[in-house]
Amino acid sequence: MISEPYDQEAGQAFRSILREAMRRRSAFKEAVLPKIHIGMSTCGIASGALETKNAFETALNECGLSALIHSIGCIGHCYAEPVVIVERPGFPPILYYKVTPGKARMIVKSYLAEGDPLFEHLLGAMEENDLIPSVMDFPRFSRETRVITEKCGRIDPEDIYEYLAEGGYAALAGVLGRNPDHIIREITESGLRGRGGAGFPTGQKWMLARNADAGQKAIICNADEGDPGAYMDRTILESNPYQILEGMAICAYAVGARKGTIYIRAEYPLAVKILRCAVEQARVLGFLGKSILGTSFGLEIDLFEGSGAFVCGEETALIQSIQGDRGMPRHRPPYPAQKGLWNQPTVINNVKTFALVPTILAQGAAWFKSIGTETSPGTAIFSVVGSVVHPGLVEIPTGVTLKALILDICGGIPNKKRFKAVQIGGPSGGCLPEELLATPIDFDSLTEAGAMMGSGGMVVMDEDTCMVDVARYFLDFTQKESCGKCTFCRIGTFHLLRILERITRGEGREGDLEQLEELSIQIKEGSLCGFGKTAPNPVLTSLRYFRKEYEAHIREKRCPSGMCRALTAYYIDLEKCARGCDACVGSCPVEAIFTTEDRKKAVDQSLCVKCGECMVSCPVEYSAVKKVSPPHLAPVILRPVEKEAKKNA
Amino acid sequence: MGNMVKLIVDGTELEVEEGTVLLDACLDHGIYIPHLCHLKGMEQPPASCRLCFVSIEGIAHPVPSCTLTVREGMVVQTDTNAVRGLQISALRLLLSVHDVDCAHCPANKKCALQKIAKFLHIGLKAKGLEIYLKEPRVVQDHPLIDYYPNRCVLCGRCIRVCRAQNGLPLMSFAKRGFDTVISFYGAASTLGCKTCFACLKICPVGAITLKTPNS
Amino acid sequence: MKNNPVPEIEAILQDVTARLKDFRKEKCCLIPILQMIQHRHAHLPHETIKLVADHLGIAPCEVYGVATFYNQFRFHPPGKHPIKVCLGTACHVRGGSIILENFERKLRIKDGETTPDKEFSIERVACVGCCALAPVTVLDDQVHGHMAPSKVEGLILGFEIEKQKQEREKAKDDF
Repeated sequence: MISEPYDQEAGQAFRSILREAMRRRSAFKEAVLPKIHIGMSTCGIASGALETKNAFETALNECGLSALIHSIGCIGHCYAEPVVIVERPGFPPILYYKVTPGKARMIVKSYLAEGDPLFEHLLGAMEENDLIPSVMDFPRFSRETRVITEKCGRIDPEDIYEYLAEGGYAALAGVLGRNPDHIIREITESGLRGRGGAGFPTGQKWMLARNADAGQKAIICNADEGDPGAYMDRTILESNPYQILEGMAICAYAVGARKGTIYIRAEYPLAVKILRCAVEQARVLGFLGKSILGTSFGLEIDLFEGSGAFVCGEETALIQSIQGDRGMPRHRPPYPAQKGLWNQPTVINNVKTFALVPTILAQGAAWFKSIGTETSPGTAIFSVVGSVVHPGLVEIPTGVTLKALILDICGGIPNKKRFKAVQIGGPSGGCLPEELLATPIDFDSLTEAGAMMGSGGMVVMDEDTCMVDVARYFLDFTQKESCGKCTFCRIGTFHLLRILERITRGEGREGDLEQLEELSIQIKEGSLCGFGKTAPNPVLTSLRYFRKEYEAHIREKRCPSGMCRALTAYYIDLEKCARGCDACVGSCPVEAIFTTEDRKKAVDQSLCVKCGECMVSCPVEYSAVKKVSPPHLAPVILRPVEKEAKKNA
Repeated sequence: MGNMVKLIVDGTELEVEEGTVLLDACLDHGIYIPHLCHLKGMEQPPASCRLCFVSIEGIAHPVPSCTLTVREGMVVQTDTNAVRGLQISALRLLLSVHDVDCAHCPANKKCALQKIAKFLHIGLKAKGLEIYLKEPRVVQDHPLIDYYPNRCVLCGRCIRVCRAQNGLPLMSFAKRGFDTVISFYGAASTLGCKTCFACLKICPVGAITLKTPNS
Repeated sequence: MKNNPVPEIEAILQDVTARLKDFRKEKCCLIPILQMIQHRHAHLPHETIKLVADHLGIAPCEVYGVATFYNQFRFHPPGKHPIKVCLGTACHVRGGSIILENFERKLRIKDGETTPDKEFSIERVACVGCCALAPVTVLDDQVHGHMAPSKVEGLILGFEIEKQKQEREKAKDDF
């Protein structure tokens, strides 16, 4: 365990910075003013956090009140954004959800001015008290174990002193001057496995780089989070960038690197901005730069903005990209830890891996190993989205089952629908069915089930989701994102996609499934890099668990969940349709709905684009719009004019 | 001459110089392994054509022989079922996007695809796969050379020899994934081409040809 | 635009030439340079490719090869109001492609194209990371969550009304 500074001078420098941090924190804490903490990450802003913040400021002005408005990162409860925590002297801190500008005004006027905490709008108190139920009463809060995201949503990501006051940089200060081997041993003993997806032991990777005989070494933080449906890395970068910088500094010290690069998606402008600010602040206080905390150890960190190529998440492609080339993976070995960026030994770790390092060193390997399972210790962080009641970021100890995560912690499936499948690991992962909900979440169990931990995207699907279409969707993605270097991935994924497209259009043939399987296995075996080797996983898992759905598409031209548009049709049940009502007419984007002779409505199948808007707009008391598959089940109703024409003919 | 190492390929003992690429060692000793992207003496193998697989004792899956250097005591098999299976499927994939019109192709009878297909005892048909050809069929941007995307196997050998000849390559891969092509971008305006035609000579499939008056 | 194409591209080339001085002449600067050009001019005009190649001492085809590899770079200017329709997994299962189709139909252009009046362009993006708000569309850098086909029309109509209003006012001023 590394809790005390080892190097005298570094310790002194650190303590003086820490004193300043604590002074600032007590000044904030002890201020008698109310404090309003607003989550200002991308999801918060997308949900209107900026407008909410403005509304608070205006309302405070109007009421002649003052309060401290504090921008914080994301607490991971995306369903509740914009999230606001209000501290009023004499009350526990209260978390309000979906705080629209209107709600913001109410909070100021009723709560801050008059002391009514507005029970109907709060989610709970942030600490136990006698007055207001605690958020800890909800499994969504109580069953999380926050290690990576411990400080996310508690500190201002643009103020390094807040990170310091929460215990930040103590691990780096403790490491300096110590024998690097001890640090790597601690990481190895903790059993930490890389959180980028493959789960390679981090300590082993570091040791490989440390032992490599080279003048210069490099470290890279892989923040090229490209999985559609995953945004954990972005949230961490936006909520607590310092933790990553600290983890990188420790790694650089341990392996003997003096240069670090953060490869971050250009599609994350806010994260880039916050990270730049953090690097600058860390440099000013001496946590980065030529001489860190006055010691002889120095580290410079550069940001490299990725230009949108999913394959650059693969480490050798990422290196090509930084070097200014097309991001095409190369054969391994040599591994980057032996020969990486500019041919230097290079440690590449994911955002979450680096973020875990300071905590592991501060709390000790034994502590970390005590969390989660034996073979994948620690926590896993998932962005659980799709058909769940409480989507967002969830951090849980490994070993928790899928069932507990989806049905208990995230509140299960909304709208009384049935759970159908969960897609884990993005385009490289797989879809697991209800029967496998008891699978514990760890690297090995998920791989065994045919999915993959991946970087942590989890999309929950209900009965309305077609698994053939989901497989087609992922293949469409991988096929577009394939770098095109090797034969199997370039041409093989293209054929997989074409076959899947045919099946979802109702043009599937006998033999297609066998061919899908055969091609998939060949692509897995023959491809050059991890991207190609895992690309067929969505096809293989859906074939394994949902073969019947494929067969219905091919043999009956029927999409059981009614999602494949070529295989479905909408029609209006004339028995149920209300004469004179035209709610559906306006909703139709293509004017496919016409009035029948007895002033009811019908769908012109030749125009219908099957967007389903009419079904949404039809008043529930009628529920006259029906969806059927195969499409020939829809009754044919002709327009009055067509009828006329037919009669005349 | 460096140290020599002994290895066994298909039951025959070979003695080759340490550091030799396994594929080269086999080819030099008359053991044919299908390949497209390999160029002797290259520093880092692209390993992109996925044809030169071999089985190595002690390694579960077939490995491209261009990525390995010979080791003392290495036991190699070039014709296991797994190896042949991968080679046949790679070739079929290549053929599924190949304009099989040998009669009108300058590479006819010396084409690497023909040779490999013959070696693997399969026809020039992509059995079971739909054929997909790109548009346009011929790219005529270069003042002297025409490029046929539907013949090209994207081995990249032309790019590498062009770089070797000129210092700067005058051709490059462009676009990505399935749409990847060889591009002579900028060649028309700068005309840096030294007309060495090294690219044309190295092309295994006739994808790069001299401009003909009626092409 | 056809009347005087020269001055516009000249201005871009001048600007790029001036900015190139801030970059080292190393291949690793290639992508940051391309990002700089695209950031300032919304696309990479073909004329800038040679400029960049000369600065770095590499061949134009290498610059082109890199620029065409990454999704971020485009060779044609986008519309005044770029529309990015998210087709991440969560958006897909909630009908993202129907939203995309609606934009395409309404604006009579396809994904990757710009309307003839240069007002709108449509682009599909892999994931903007707002999955809890699916389906999502980003219009003028503003995220619109929980999209529905009926909202598409409203959004575009909003811009058209705004534009007509501006034109009327401009006409009034000119008068």
